[in-house]
Amino acid sequence: MLKKNTLFVGKVLLEFPALPSTNLYASDLLSKSKPSEGTVISAAHQTEGRGQIGSRWESQPGQNITLSVILYPRFLPVARQFSLNQAVALSVRDLVARYAKKPVYVKWPNDIYVEHRKAAGILIQNTLGGSGFQSSVVGLGVNVNQEVFPPGLPNPTSLKLETGLSYALPELIGELCQSLEHRYLQLKEGQLKSLNAEYLQFLYGLGQYALFERPGGEQFRGRIAGVNPDGLLLVSGAEGREESFQLKEIRMLGRPEKSK
Amino acid sequence: MTFKEIQELVKLISRTNLTEFKVKNGEFELSIRTDKYEKQKHQLPLAPVAQGQASPAPFIQMPAVPSPYPAAPAAAPQSTPQPSPAEAKPESGEGESGKYLEVRSPIVGTFYRSSSPEKPPYAKVGDVIQAGQVVCIVEAMKLFNEIESEISGKIVKVMVEDAQPVEYDQVLFLVDPRG
Repeated sequence: MLKKNTLFVGKVLLEFPALPSTNLYASDLLSKSKPSEGTVISAAHQTEGRGQIGSRWESQPGQNITLSVILYPRFLPVARQFSLNQAVALSVRDLVARYAKKPVYVKWPNDIYVEHRKAAGILIQNTLGGSGFQSSVVGLGVNVNQEVFPPGLPNPTSLKLETGLSYALPELIGELCQSLEHRYLQLKEGQLKSLNAEYLQFLYGLGQYALFERPGGEQFRGRIAGVNPDGLLLVSGAEGREESFQLKEIRMLGRPEKSK
Repeated sequence: MTFKEIQELVKLISRTNLTEFKVKNGEFELSIRTDKYEKQKHQLPLAPVAQGQASPAPFIQMPAVPSPYPAAPAAAPQSTPQPSPAEAKPESGEGESGKYLEVRSPIVGTFYRSSSPEKPPYAKVGDVIQAGQVVCIVEAMKLFNEIESEISGKIVKVMVEDAQPVEYDQVLFLVDPRG
């Protein structure tokens, strides 16, 4: 079972054979009680896993990690919430990078890529009140033993597809809790600069060129220049002008390349 | 001012409720008016919205500036009879019309009225909300933030369309605290 070598993440572990969505269960729990920080809700099968608003996370029963962690980042100013995203993304990357024998990246803002394929996704849901963060539900999905994915998913992969090996989920979940706790404590200690530096170090396509599309359909070639403190993607265009983009304001078409 | 700065400025202004913006620095002078400028000129303000000087910390429910006019009929809360201009007297305290509170965005992001497209909105005009109730989601780089209202009252106006970008401190809802 779960190794208890963390201080709080995963100390309370609620395991279910099936749930509509672990994030939804965590939100319900928060609305009815005061779960301790680090409570993990894990499901072998998510029947209505959540991706972004309106999209779904596809996962075969019992093959992958699908869990949510309840945190109370009340120490973090709301305007610095992208640092929470960076800490969480790095923790999942830590886990995937330990096993995949290829370069592992964070694709802005928080997908985990093994080379050019997505191995893990993150969905963070915060509740904000007048005094700032009330709670945060961190949903993590890591493709572990799944080998076949539904058609239509653009570029999925799993640890098994990358290495040919099968993995014991409880041990991986234990390791994920450890790395999440480690990164969360970095955040709590105010190490935002080093989190940002590591995030940039592993940012998919940083310094490279890619074809981008704006919501209106206009396409342009630009260089991925980084992220700003709000988490907006910085892209420099043809004349070297740097522009910042929110999630819905830009779409990367194809892979980034080293040359123009 | 560089081209880039002007570009950022235009982008910023287009996301706010600002109708006009002027800046002067030595010989350089820039004036921007949005399409809202002409519209607003011909309308009585519903509840003038404090701009620019808003304090950064409490992001929710800055009291709106009390309107010197009775609220425009279309936007008036239906349950409250509006005094006609002739009847309107300067009153102290709570009695005055148009004294709405504001729910503002704590972050840069995208405004969503419901948790998914098929779900009903968290709050619509006419709804009475309670303090602590979630009224919308502001998504920022895939972090989904449920925004709790700090006060109770009736939603008078939803200031932003679903799925539109919002700036830090932008007004999202007007709330009548007398509900």
